[in-house]
Amino acid sequence: MIELKGLTKDYGTTIAVNRLNLHVRAGEIYGFIGPNGAGKTTTIRMMGGILAPTAGSVLIGSVDMAKDPAAAKMKIGFVPDRPFLYEKLTGMEFLRFSADLYNVQPDSFFEKAERLLRQFALWDWSGEIIEAYSHGMKQRLIIACALLHEPQILIIDEPMVGLDPAAVRMVKDILQELAAKNTTVFVSTHTLSIAEDLCHRIGVIHKGSLLAEGTVQELKHVANLGEARLEEVFLTITKEDTFL
Amino acid sequence: MMDAFSLIRPRLLSAINSLRPDNKKNSWIRVLMFAVLGIVFWIGIFVVFYRVLSYFQSVQEFGDILAMKLLAMVVMTFFALLIFSNIINCLSHLYLSQDLPFIHSLPVDAATVFFSRWLISTFDSSWMVVAFSLPAFLSYGLIYHAGPLYYAVVLLAIAFLCVIAAALSSAVVLLGAAILPAGRIRTILVMLGFFLVLLLVLALRLIRPEQLVNPDSFATVVLYLNSMQTADFAFLPTTWITDALRTALQGEIKNSLFHIALAGSFAFTMIFINDIIARVSYFQGFSRAQTTPQRLFKPFSYKGFSWESLFNLLPRAARAFAVKEVRTFFRDSTQWPQLFLMAALIAIYLYNFSVLPLDKSPIRTVYLQNLFSFLNMGLAAFVLAALAARFVFPAVSMEGRAFWIVQAAPVSLRTFLWIKFFLYCLPLTILAEILIIASNLLLSVTPFIMVLSAVTMFCLVPPVVALAIGLGASYPNFQSENPAQAVTSFGGLLFMLFCFGLIAAVIILEAGPVYYVFMSDIRGRTLTLWQMAWLVISFTLAFLLCLAATLYPMIIGERRLSIE
Repeated sequence: MIELKGLTKDYGTTIAVNRLNLHVRAGEIYGFIGPNGAGKTTTIRMMGGILAPTAGSVLIGSVDMAKDPAAAKMKIGFVPDRPFLYEKLTGMEFLRFSADLYNVQPDSFFEKAERLLRQFALWDWSGEIIEAYSHGMKQRLIIACALLHEPQILIIDEPMVGLDPAAVRMVKDILQELAAKNTTVFVSTHTLSIAEDLCHRIGVIHKGSLLAEGTVQELKHVANLGEARLEEVFLTITKEDTFL
Repeated sequence: MMDAFSLIRPRLLSAINSLRPDNKKNSWIRVLMFAVLGIVFWIGIFVVFYRVLSYFQSVQEFGDILAMKLLAMVVMTFFALLIFSNIINCLSHLYLSQDLPFIHSLPVDAATVFFSRWLISTFDSSWMVVAFSLPAFLSYGLIYHAGPLYYAVVLLAIAFLCVIAAALSSAVVLLGAAILPAGRIRTILVMLGFFLVLLLVLALRLIRPEQLVNPDSFATVVLYLNSMQTADFAFLPTTWITDALRTALQGEIKNSLFHIALAGSFAFTMIFINDIIARVSYFQGFSRAQTTPQRLFKPFSYKGFSWESLFNLLPRAARAFAVKEVRTFFRDSTQWPQLFLMAALIAIYLYNFSVLPLDKSPIRTVYLQNLFSFLNMGLAAFVLAALAARFVFPAVSMEGRAFWIVQAAPVSLRTFLWIKFFLYCLPLTILAEILIIASNLLLSVTPFIMVLSAVTMFCLVPPVVALAIGLGASYPNFQSENPAQAVTSFGGLLFMLFCFGLIAAVIILEAGPVYYVFMSDIRGRTLTLWQMAWLVISFTLAFLLCLAATLYPMIIGERRLSIE
């Protein structure tokens, strides 16, 4: 469903992502972990069509992001790491804006919007301007918005930042439900426990390169750590130059 | 005091760091362009003042009166500009800036925070007025052969003028934040805009500047002189500053020192008063400003019809952006003073045409009316360029940090930019046509000039808007707290230069043929063949120029924005 082929981003002074190859299947929850500055957000931004790669390609359900970005983006629900929104719109107005862009049927819009806003505990705030929302509420609104057009692929950068425990649980449940319905979920996170609980497969990126990839068990095997938690696996794999 | 300077230090260090050679924004062409333009403006102001004052000196009896009247008007104008810019900056620096929560978390008392922010706000509001007031005062000094005392008084006068304006503005903002209900603090901006318009209209009606150029309306020279010498209010700070400068020019040292001391003591008193108000109310006001901002206007709909329905005919993506653009624009209270100001300037622009004493001119009225109308085309186009600079150029930057939404949306950047183009093109076309047709009606021009100017404006709006959108997309600033300030950036400067170039080129291309059409009309002759050819070629070139200036900036803008 998602395929990255030789994806590279060179900022001139640093190579943020270096010839990255990835393949994520339909219905899979893929976790993308790595230390700060590893290239996670750059990769995600290229996958979302926000950043143009220096080399390589991003295929979204066989549509090349560089060749037909509108068609590729139509398949994606994108959630960035920081919830910057149009602060002067209300929550409902923002959903309507998004629905128009993603061609959500007007007849079903209000029903879908209400269901999502209630699901994310934002219904009572739907008429307030976003400026008045807390960080967590904005984050929930972005996730609701990304789900509005029922995307085939969900790309989320740090989904749990700013969310309270109840919202974290809710988002985890939603992601699992989506995967069960064959939606592909690509999650970048620092919260290793979430990656461990949620993801079918995990990729570890460091200095722009994919160091290891597989299920948690496979990663433990790669790191030669028997029953260790993902945290130790992560620290071992990303330890300076061990796997590079 | 040390704490206040510690709070200012990040700002100073940021300014110094921005000058580092590795800063990508410091290309030599950018620095050179700003420097050249600044010097040109500076010299321009000096030359204009020097020539006007030299001319005044040649008028016996009246000369000094006119020069001092001009001095009073200059001081008053600078003061009004300072007050306006200080109120906006104070509100932003004291209550709305994004770094304020961090600043208030530091172990520093609120009065110190206030003082440090006030100093930054005063600097931001004043530096440009200070820089461009110096050539005006310098020309006075040279014309009146003033000694060193005058120049010392000028420096003190400028400093006190800035401090008084800043202190009065901050007192207004502090009190406003204390009195207004929580969440309504931004209303200060709307009120400011409203009072500004009121002030302008009142000033216009009270001064009646058209009468000053029409001595016939005064029965005698004495009445005319009296109207020029209307007494200033003795309790206004601008009067003390003007008197200090005037007496320094005339060599009355004691009087000058008295007036400057009066202004100085008032400035320091105001700082003291501000300190008291800040200690009592600044933190409470800041705290109240953190509450949810209330909407200025409630949504309006009548029998299910709302303004959004106007966009129902558009394609869905275009409709989404159109509705979003209109909502965010009108809900942003920082736009309101600017809107009021623009409305006032347009009203004054049209008012000026209604009071032009054309019938008193020795030149034939028909000729003069049409000449004015032709020049008016250029003037209206410049007004259009100014409006585009303020409202259209920042349109791409206004997306701010939410620009990722556009990038992630299944809409190409080209579509996004063209949607913006059409959104601004329509209202600006209507406005430009109203402006040109109304002023032409006031001038009672011939039908030919009426049609020509209406068509020219119709052709000029798209390239002006395209230049604003294209260059705005080429030089976006998505990080700025106030994207409207993008117009003072390098891109904004380029936009103004290209706009002026385009308008000048179109006017020049049309001037020759129009003159022949007009003169042949007056003389009852038909155009010769080569005059006809010239007309066709000129008008075709003007049209092609407009077309190219519409398409090319949009292509460049899309290309540059896709690299962001």
